[in-house]
Amino acid sequence: MNAYLTINTVPELACLLLAVVFLGRDKDPFWRMLILYLFLTCMVELAGIYIHKVLQRSNMPLYTVFVLFECFAVSSFFFALLRPYGLKRRWLAAWLAVFILTYFAELLAGHFHHFVSVTTSLMSVAFVLAALCYYYLLLNADKFERLTLHAAFWWTNGSFIFYFGGTVCNLFFDILIAHPASVYTHSIRYIIFGVSDVILYTCWSLSFLCRYLQRRSTPSSA
Amino acid sequence: MQISSKEIYSIIGLSSLVFLIAPIFVILYVLSYNKKKRKNEKEKLLMRQTFENEILHTRIEVQEQTLKTVSYDLHDNIGQFLSLIPLTISSIDQSKVGAYAEKINTIDDIARRAINEIKLLARLLHGEDLLEKGLVPAIEAELAWLNRAAKYEVSFENESYGAKEPDLARDTFLFRSFQEGINNIIQHAKATRIEIELRQEDAKMTLMISDNGIGFPVAETSAKRSGMGIGNILRRAKMIDGQATISSAPGTGTQIKITIPK
Repeated sequence: MNAYLTINTVPELACLLLAVVFLGRDKDPFWRMLILYLFLTCMVELAGIYIHKVLQRSNMPLYTVFVLFECFAVSSFFFALLRPYGLKRRWLAAWLAVFILTYFAELLAGHFHHFVSVTTSLMSVAFVLAALCYYYLLLNADKFERLTLHAAFWWTNGSFIFYFGGTVCNLFFDILIAHPASVYTHSIRYIIFGVSDVILYTCWSLSFLCRYLQRRSTPSSA
Repeated sequence: MQISSKEIYSIIGLSSLVFLIAPIFVILYVLSYNKKKRKNEKEKLLMRQTFENEILHTRIEVQEQTLKTVSYDLHDNIGQFLSLIPLTISSIDQSKVGAYAEKINTIDDIARRAINEIKLLARLLHGEDLLEKGLVPAIEAELAWLNRAAKYEVSFENESYGAKEPDLARDTFLFRSFQEGINNIIQHAKATRIEIELRQEDAKMTLMISDNGIGFPVAETSAKRSGMGIGNILRRAKMIDGQATISSAPGTGTQIKITIPK
């Protein structure tokens, strides 16, 4: 049982629990979608541990498929955040088309044996740009927002740190795979993504709490 | 040159650390910019309020000055001309007027009444002069003027007001607001009863003007240009850190409550 409670799974499970509590009755489908996404993330994470520890097999294919869901969920949510500032649906469609093309091109190039690290890097860069774009539009907007209690701001913060922080790992993915963890107890990827995960899910949990408080104070808007 | 695994891990680890810390600074910058944005917004709002107050203040000063000029003109100019009528009449030789004596006496009487009216009106217009004796006598003078029409049943409650140190600026604000309220009743309310209450409490004084007229939708009227009288009352109160509330609805009469700090 302890094998399933890692630095990745504990924050994910806690965040899922908070998402169910705080977003369960939210009227916005994009916020509610996050519950499903987090549920899927937890399931993939636990299945990944099972495949790796119990079946003693590579869990890479599982994470390769999960990237598709991750990109769809996070892209859709960024679209929901940027839509009030004038982002058109066709931009989302164009980005998803580019992503799918890159994804399958990389899969074919690696004969379905390698993780899609280039596509993941591309996805990270796109999400970092989306976050920066959101900050820019938020600061340029006429309406003042109290950011310390702004749900969308905290969600973006978590995503921004996670995807920007993971960029180095994604870029050096092949080297990290080629050099297994012989020096430290855990691989450097595991530590970096562990820290990123804690930051991501802490920010997201805070975001869900802010969203809940916002819904309580203005029931019609959320 | 061969790079060891340890060195690779160190480079990647350090780079990742930098990549994890950099976004935190971006977020801190966004928060700090947003804070400045809020500060700017607050300053803009304060400047707009100050500007509006200045405009209102100037308008009130101009209005007060105009009323004073009209008051002087009525008293010194028209009043003087009118006072020439009784003077001229008194110079007429009564033995020669014969059958017109009665009519001349009537003209004399009308002229004297007109002079008194003008003097009273001049005093009402000259706020500072009227308020020299205090707010209560000033309100009573205005009500005496109003009672002459005998159109309204007027009551004025001021027992709890007590003796107050005169504050000409504050009393002028309150008195002009009172006049604005009474003017509104005369022009629009179609009321038969007017109740005025001047009350003094621990740290504030309250003036209430109520009527049993046709009433009006407060929010709609305040938003319209036609609601300038209402707007003036609200703005005047705000200028001296007071508060004015107007309660009314069609068919229910109107109640204006002005509360200002002592």
